[in-house]
Amino acid sequence: MLATVSSASLLGVDGHPVSVEVHVASGLPGFTVVGSPDSVCREARDRVRAAILSCGLTWPMQRVTVNLAPSALRKGGAALDLAMAMGVLVASEQLEASAIDDMAFIGELGLDGTLRRVVGALPLVDAVREPTVVVPPASMFEAGLVGRHRVRSARTLLELVRALAGQEPWPDIAVVRPSPEAVDVLDLADVHGHPMARRALEVAAAGGHHLLMIGPPGSGKTMLAQRLPGLLPDLDDPAAIDATRIHSAAGASLPSGGLVRRPPFRAPHNGASAVAMIGGGASFLQPGEISLAHGGVLFLDEMGEFAVDVIDSLRTPLEEGVVRIARAHGRVTFPASFLLVAAMNPCPCGEGLRPGSCRCSDASLVRYSRRLSGPLLDRFDLRIEVMAPDPGQILRGEPGESTAAVAERVLAVRERTSARGFDTNAQLSARALEEVAPLSVEASAFLERALRAGQLSARGLRRVRGVALTLHDLDGVDPPISVKSVSLAMHLRVEPRFLSRRLAG
Amino acid sequence: MSLPGDARDGDDRCAQLPPEAWVAALASLDGMGPARLGALLGGSDGPAAAWRAVVANRWSWQPGPLVDALGGNGAAIADGWSRAARMLDPAEWWRRHVDAGVGVAVRGSPAYPEVFVDDPDPPAIVFSVGDPDALVGPRVGIVGTRDCTRYGYDVARELGAELSAAGVSVVSGLAVGIDGAAHTGALDVEGAPPIAVVGSGLDVVYPRRHRSLWERVAERGVVLSEHPLGSPPLAWHFPARNRLIAALSDIVVVVESQPRGGSMHTVDEAQRRDIDLMAVPGPVTSPVSAGTNQLLVDGASVARDATDVLVQLGMGPGIRRAAVERRRSPSAAAQAVLDAFDWQPALIDQLALRSGAAIEDLSLALDRLERDGWIDRRGGWFERRTKPERDRPPST
Repeated sequence: MLATVSSASLLGVDGHPVSVEVHVASGLPGFTVVGSPDSVCREARDRVRAAILSCGLTWPMQRVTVNLAPSALRKGGAALDLAMAMGVLVASEQLEASAIDDMAFIGELGLDGTLRRVVGALPLVDAVREPTVVVPPASMFEAGLVGRHRVRSARTLLELVRALAGQEPWPDIAVVRPSPEAVDVLDLADVHGHPMARRALEVAAAGGHHLLMIGPPGSGKTMLAQRLPGLLPDLDDPAAIDATRIHSAAGASLPSGGLVRRPPFRAPHNGASAVAMIGGGASFLQPGEISLAHGGVLFLDEMGEFAVDVIDSLRTPLEEGVVRIARAHGRVTFPASFLLVAAMNPCPCGEGLRPGSCRCSDASLVRYSRRLSGPLLDRFDLRIEVMAPDPGQILRGEPGESTAAVAERVLAVRERTSARGFDTNAQLSARALEEVAPLSVEASAFLERALRAGQLSARGLRRVRGVALTLHDLDGVDPPISVKSVSLAMHLRVEPRFLSRRLAG
Repeated sequence: MSLPGDARDGDDRCAQLPPEAWVAALASLDGMGPARLGALLGGSDGPAAAWRAVVANRWSWQPGPLVDALGGNGAAIADGWSRAARMLDPAEWWRRHVDAGVGVAVRGSPAYPEVFVDDPDPPAIVFSVGDPDALVGPRVGIVGTRDCTRYGYDVARELGAELSAAGVSVVSGLAVGIDGAAHTGALDVEGAPPIAVVGSGLDVVYPRRHRSLWERVAERGVVLSEHPLGSPPLAWHFPARNRLIAALSDIVVVVESQPRGGSMHTVDEAQRRDIDLMAVPGPVTSPVSAGTNQLLVDGASVARDATDVLVQLGMGPGIRRAAVERRRSPSAAAQAVLDAFDWQPALIDQLALRSGAAIEDLSLALDRLERDGWIDRRGGWFERRTKPERDRPPST
């Protein structure tokens, strides 16, 4: 006999509907799964059989064939276990086919018949067209976020079969909400001194400008970077849904409110591989760190220590806001629009920032500077040098402005930007800048001098103008852009010096 | 069969070669430093005989200067030399130096610089480009760190210019930092010919961004090396180079130096030769003045300007040129920012705290001060300048 059960499979951050067809007929007893399963999916044979037997149900002593349609889609993971089990039970006539009408089943099975949490419940349920969906208890919260379905659950396969057969009522299972995350305690008021770095953080948050901090160990680069997400406004609905799907598909925990509303902060270690960073992987193409940082901040501490190819793979996503991953068995596009914040030592000895302090040889400086590609350094609108503040400043200095006060200004800038029809000032093209942010006569002369003196490149000009516009927006002053803002914008974008900082004759 | 390096074949070309050719060929062998070359020549009956001995690779290995200089691995080194020497045609090698116009002098030849004759560690061979007569006048070595501050750069350049104008040749090593600043200063004025000693072959310009400086020194003065054409700038060449800088100098002035490093090696070599040491004082908090300040504590003379050096040389005070301030006077606001400097590198953060100015105002004031030559910028750092550029150096 034949049974067809609805379910879904994950590719990238999107669920795709899958029909699980189970055929039970006479023949040599056996169990085959066809229709492009990956190895985890193929292992379902053993889990499904053991789960059915553990629940005291009968395994048909016949030939069982499972087809996963559409067969062109590669199926990964264990989320189809439950649908296969239901198919076997219907096809072997242990359950009425009518009992599972208009229902979809998503879940992993344990050998004892328990229903286990699946990765990516949110996009999987989103792909389901049936009005009712059955998921494991631990995935009920994520399944409920989609909002279109009646979400059912049971603790074990046996409980589920009894409820479907009408022998027992559906079990009453409380939705487990994630525990509320710790309140964000990283306040900008804790930062003493660092006036330039504070201003750079504010500008980065307000205009979406990528930020590079160069400084010796212990100068406070990480502390500063961790305070950036607090300055960013909440994600709007489309971004929040994207971010939530990504987090669900990557198996990351969701906030108790359901949607990822606060901008995420991702700080991968410098040993991260290219796949971990941009996404991919053997079976169902998982999102990487840059997608998990979608809408928030990607912080690369010790950027010089990352593998060169990993760093270079960031360039296209930085330009396009998405990352396209193509593999033999599928192509996916992940959202990856993030604010890049990087920190690095000025040279291998770490002390090379201050003129006359570095003990590195020329050769080691050349080697170090090769680790960073010029095109990537060029993508940072803001490049500042950070030194540990004076001890007196730390102990006796006035605390700076709080995160709340700065975030208010940032929000106002973002609103001005969207009123102009753009997402962030950093995205403005040269032509848009000409229109939105005309230069004052004085500022224009100032920039011309800088261009002539070689202090500024044509590409750098666009970035400096964008930052100058953000500075204006923060002060609430309309363009034309003043010479003061242009000057500060250039001071916020220092040339990374490395080898060239030594004075030649 | 006769190999090119085998001089016993009675080749006429080889028989007519001057002693310089044989020493130049010997100096081209891997790992042939001044000590080994000296010992080799000292233990042989003339340079041609030394070359034949190297090619034949027949040694008595009796204890002596050569065995000491070769160390424990002597047999392997001699094997390598022998192999390399068989591949080298000394006549061809010599031709190459003659064609390139490189001056070559060995001990005992008339062109050998007199200053090296009584040196405790004399070079066995000296290659030169430029005018060898540049070595005749009074000479002052100006050395210091490669990673100098703007203060050190300005002082070195000013010393180079003033000493050169007073008729004193500046001796230095053409490295980046202080070395380059001293020679740039010497070339800023019409004066005594500059002298450079380098650690590579005279056709291997190192560091490469000093090519133009190197060429101008060779044009106005002389560039010396112990290494034949084509020799790379190996790390071990530089301590030997530093000893020649010390040997050539009547006085060595250290402008900025960490407590250890190449400049301190020059200082040690100068002390071995009883050459007067002078040091430029610097801020006690500056890492690159730690070495020079320590030299002052240890009894070096203070070099505040060229006059101090000239007095030490016994040349009497030079004519002090009245300083004419040609820079545009800063505005009151800019002057307040300038006052926040303490002659040490500073970040905008520090200047903001000291002056109390908002960073918008500060950034514009700094740009104006930089434009008018009052300060200098490197990355995010600012340094106050004593004088404006004579002509803008290719610094950043």
